[in-house]
Amino acid sequence: MNAKESVLLVVLCLIGIGCGRSERMDALYAQRCLNCHGPVGKADGPGAAALQVRIPDFRETVERRSTGQIRRIITEGRGIMPAFDPALTPAEINDMVRMVRFLSREGRDVAWWEKYDVLVSAHCSVPWDAVLGYDEPLEPAQTSKPAPKG
Amino acid sequence: MFNVSDPTPGLKESFVKGKPSTGEVAHDCLCRHEHDSRARVTIFRFVLALQMIFFTLASPWQTWSHDRTTTEKAKGVERREVRIPIEDFTLTDQVSRPFKFQSLRGKVVIVAFAYTTCPDVCPLITAAMRQVQDGLKGEERALTYLVTVTTDPEIDTPKVMAAYAKRYGVDLSNWAFLSGDEAALKKVWKNFGVGVKRKARGLIDHTTLTAVIDRSGTMRIAYVGTSPDPKAILQDVRKLNRER
Repeated sequence: MNAKESVLLVVLCLIGIGCGRSERMDALYAQRCLNCHGPVGKADGPGAAALQVRIPDFRETVERRSTGQIRRIITEGRGIMPAFDPALTPAEINDMVRMVRFLSREGRDVAWWEKYDVLVSAHCSVPWDAVLGYDEPLEPAQTSKPAPKG
Repeated sequence: MFNVSDPTPGLKESFVKGKPSTGEVAHDCLCRHEHDSRARVTIFRFVLALQMIFFTLASPWQTWSHDRTTTEKAKGVERREVRIPIEDFTLTDQVSRPFKFQSLRGKVVIVAFAYTTCPDVCPLITAAMRQVQDGLKGEERALTYLVTVTTDPEIDTPKVMAAYAKRYGVDLSNWAFLSGDEAALKKVWKNFGVGVKRKARGLIDHTTLTAVIDRSGTMRIAYVGTSPDPKAILQDVRKLNRER
């Protein structure tokens, strides 16, 4: 292997590492996107049915958009979709961009996401009575004791 | 799905065309009957195989979606009538001005707890609040105020809250989006009975409370769980506005 081939191999490896999918990408998608966008980006996630707006299907939209456009939607949000800047780092947002590209092209087996189910349902689940114990409606406090008889 | 007793004409025709023409009607009928029976058995097996493939493929999705549906049902929406006095507090609104809750005395106030990067129930709650705001007519708008209190002070600065309000297209004349430092917010969360657990940066597990406060500052109705029905909130607001 000559010097040129070695350099080419290193460059290809770096591209491969940069473009490859990682556990972090899966976890990010499961935590932040899957509830609405669904396991394959088809807009059929468990929370999508409750929304009164139409969520775009990745497979129809992502391929028509540039990476910059996708990144902008993720960072700034759109409609009821959250804006993930400044909550996520630029590296994490890049991971999200790659993930939606991957899902739009290759999809993913539904069963794959089962291991992430805990992450999907890790929001908005603290019961109301966890803090103060409001199990029953509170009545106004009685300030005066009944007068003793006799 | 195929109807086994009535195979498609195309399939039936192909079997009929494939038979030799002998001229003997009885034999022809017998052969046709035998061929039809074989065709039905073949189609039946085909349909059975299709069903097995379908259920094998659909099973993981059904299990997953069933679990999620069960989780959603468990969350549910609950409406409770309560009487909880709300203590005065001061937080910061979406344009960085101090906002005193006690300044809303004399108005019915709807208070919701949400954070801007929530990918779960909060968008539904804010959308429901927006529907409530749209449903307020004439004088009702002046007598009613909406408040969204963040559960994520780390991310939800006034600037972030303002962008959130803009995305939902809300009218800020009677709706404030409040943030503040964690110590001040903790007191408010506790006063309303809202539990907040930070899971990661921009990811919060919290109580989904939408509270309706009467004109004297007492919480009277609490919606807990997934998105409350805007019509039900409007009814509560109108009822409390009629109280003198």
